Amino acid sequence: METDLVPPGLTYLADNIITRQNILGVSKEQGARWAQKLDLRARADTIFFAGCGYQYSAQLEVLMSLARSTDKSVIGSELPMRFARFQKKLGLNLPGIYSNALAHGGDDEVKPLEAAVKVLRKLGLQPGYLAEKEPCCGAPLHHAGLQTKFAANARNAYKTLKASGVKRVIGIVPYCTHALQKLFPLYVDGYDIDVHHFVEIVAGKISLFKLKYPRKVRVTYHDPCQLVRYMNLVEEPRRILKAIEGIELVETDWTHGEYATCCGGGGGFETVFPALSEVLAVNRVTELMETRPDIIVTHCPGCIMQLKEGLKQLKIVGVEVLDLAQVVAASIE
Amino acid sequence: MKKSSDFKEYKKEIMDAAHDDRLRLALSRAVKSFRGNVKNALEKFPHTISLAEEVRKIKEKAIPDMEKLTRQAIAAIEENKGKGYIARTAEEALQIIGGLVGTKKLIVKGKSMTGEEIGLREHLEATGNEVYETDLGEFIVQKRGERPMHILSPSIHVPREDVARLFSKIMGQEIAPDAEIADLVAAARAYLRDKFFRADIGISGANVVAAETGTLFIIENEGNIRLSTGAPAVHIALVGMEKLVPTLSDAYKVSEVTWRYANYTMPSYVSLISGPSKTGDIEKVTTYGAHGPREFHVIFLDAGRTRLARYPRLSQALYCLRCGGCLYECPVFAVTAGHFGDKYFTGIGAVWAAIVNQDKEKAASLAYTCLTCGRCRQRCPVKIDVPEMIIELRKMLAEGEKA
Repeated sequence: METDLVPPGLTYLADNIITRQNILGVSKEQGARWAQKLDLRARADTIFFAGCGYQYSAQLEVLMSLARSTDKSVIGSELPMRFARFQKKLGLNLPGIYSNALAHGGDDEVKPLEAAVKVLRKLGLQPGYLAEKEPCCGAPLHHAGLQTKFAANARNAYKTLKASGVKRVIGIVPYCTHALQKLFPLYVDGYDIDVHHFVEIVAGKISLFKLKYPRKVRVTYHDPCQLVRYMNLVEEPRRILKAIEGIELVETDWTHGEYATCCGGGGGFETVFPALSEVLAVNRVTELMETRPDIIVTHCPGCIMQLKEGLKQLKIVGVEVLDLAQVVAASIE
Repeated sequence: MKKSSDFKEYKKEIMDAAHDDRLRLALSRAVKSFRGNVKNALEKFPHTISLAEEVRKIKEKAIPDMEKLTRQAIAAIEENKGKGYIARTAEEALQIIGGLVGTKKLIVKGKSMTGEEIGLREHLEATGNEVYETDLGEFIVQKRGERPMHILSPSIHVPREDVARLFSKIMGQEIAPDAEIADLVAAARAYLRDKFFRADIGISGANVVAAETGTLFIIENEGNIRLSTGAPAVHIALVGMEKLVPTLSDAYKVSEVTWRYANYTMPSYVSLISGPSKTGDIEKVTTYGAHGPREFHVIFLDAGRTRLARYPRLSQALYCLRCGGCLYECPVFAVTAGHFGDKYFTGIGAVWAAIVNQDKEKAASLAYTCLTCGRCRQRCPVKIDVPEMIIELRKMLAEGEKA
């Protein structure tokens, strides 16, 4: 029995996961497009798990921009979110809007995934990729409190992974990786898939490579909550950044590592409180800017979106937001 | 959400707060100084960290035992010629205290979140008493007609310039907007001074209570609680049952960890109060009410605490020492202050709203405002896992509570 205490933003994501196996309810083929030229094997012991956040980041930005503008208006974001849930009934074609967004240079956003695959290959790994068969981890269901649905989704996802012969997963989206690593075992009997995050793999092998960033830059690192406080990956990203010639790592006084401030987008918060989430993004960027960085590096599609929004709101130009995978890929020539 | 209007209203409240520049200014000043102070306090007394682990264990044992510890404390207090009570509900607590106070009394009050929880001041005022909040922050909040915005620093949202304006109005003397903070403090001191000595009754809370002796531990810096609990003829204390620990030594440990994580190396005052004032100096005849209060009443408040203690994943909310550290770490609190809260604030406030006050709509609003970022857990001396509680709470709210 489900009550109606769950905010509409989260029920929207939940419905999409259940019906289409991705948070935005678009086609899985759209999500898998980034890998077309990479020739990744569809079946392998070890797979690269791309997750919704990066694969659909362009669409997610469109959704958030719509949500933020309605949230700041007198309408509020609840009603549109509720409508979005019944979009087909109302003839509102959000997936269509998303596709248009993609046509306008959305490809830019999938770069962290290509970069990650490139890095893994340089490290001597040849992971597979399930493409449109990649199941959704369902993490937003867990965060919404819909545990029964999360558990059912987790069991199905596990079946899909097993049917594809998967033994080991290299995840990159913090939420997905955390779900596959720490939450699935709570709900799936006999769960036996070995899950690691990309940053762990890279940190373990990085000393074997000579790394040089194309130019001299000041870099500050923003820790994603899931990586730092749920998976305890504090030292790994720093070890990697410090190993790269040309990068000077500069950290905020207080708010780094275990005490890093959340970017304001987490667990679907941004769909429930779009406008507040923007305020929090601005606050986090303000903190990070105290280090006067050329590049803000982070390692989460949600954080990237939020930090870019924060820079935009603060009208800061000339500061890049990059995923750690992109920085490593650029340094490992 | 059932009452989407409620949620919309709540969202408007927190967005208004988030766009309030005065609030932002005051909070950013406070967060900065708090972090520096805690760091300093923990560096100076590094044993605090292992002591905090010990305190977690003390609380793990004490919370399921609340009922027994309360009875033990009441017995000890009565042995000391004080009086102890258990109030099962907020109404019952108000009734007991109302009965002790009566009407037309002058009351000086120390800051008490538990008092805030049951609306004690408002109740006493409504029954014809004159009540003065004597904690400076609480005094400011009272005079502004607001509710406290932080558990330790109720007026955290008010920058000094606004305090100057407020004091000018209520004290009938002009205080310059750029007055030094010291001048503001002096003005409050002068205004409240005679109230302590004219008061019929002093009311306080307590930070910790040792059940074996019935001793209240009250931590403070201003000295207002010493005066409020020492000068009037009657002292009434209102204490949540979750504040009880078995022994004096346990209570001391809890106190030390509380003040250190509340950003003090050592507070100016810690009062230990176990009974009414007494003397045997004339012919060895014990007589009550020497220089301190003649009467000492302690009301232990349940009001849902024993219910909360029965939830396996949520009962840890009762371990909270109310040091306030988590609030300074919460990114949402940093822009909304206590607007992200109900009787208590942020994630713990959501648990409190759901189980103690049984207000599901409010609990849902708060539960879904939590980012589950986990920085509060990092700061918490007793490692309360707020994200874990929030997810559990959302599950109960979303899927319907299972017995």
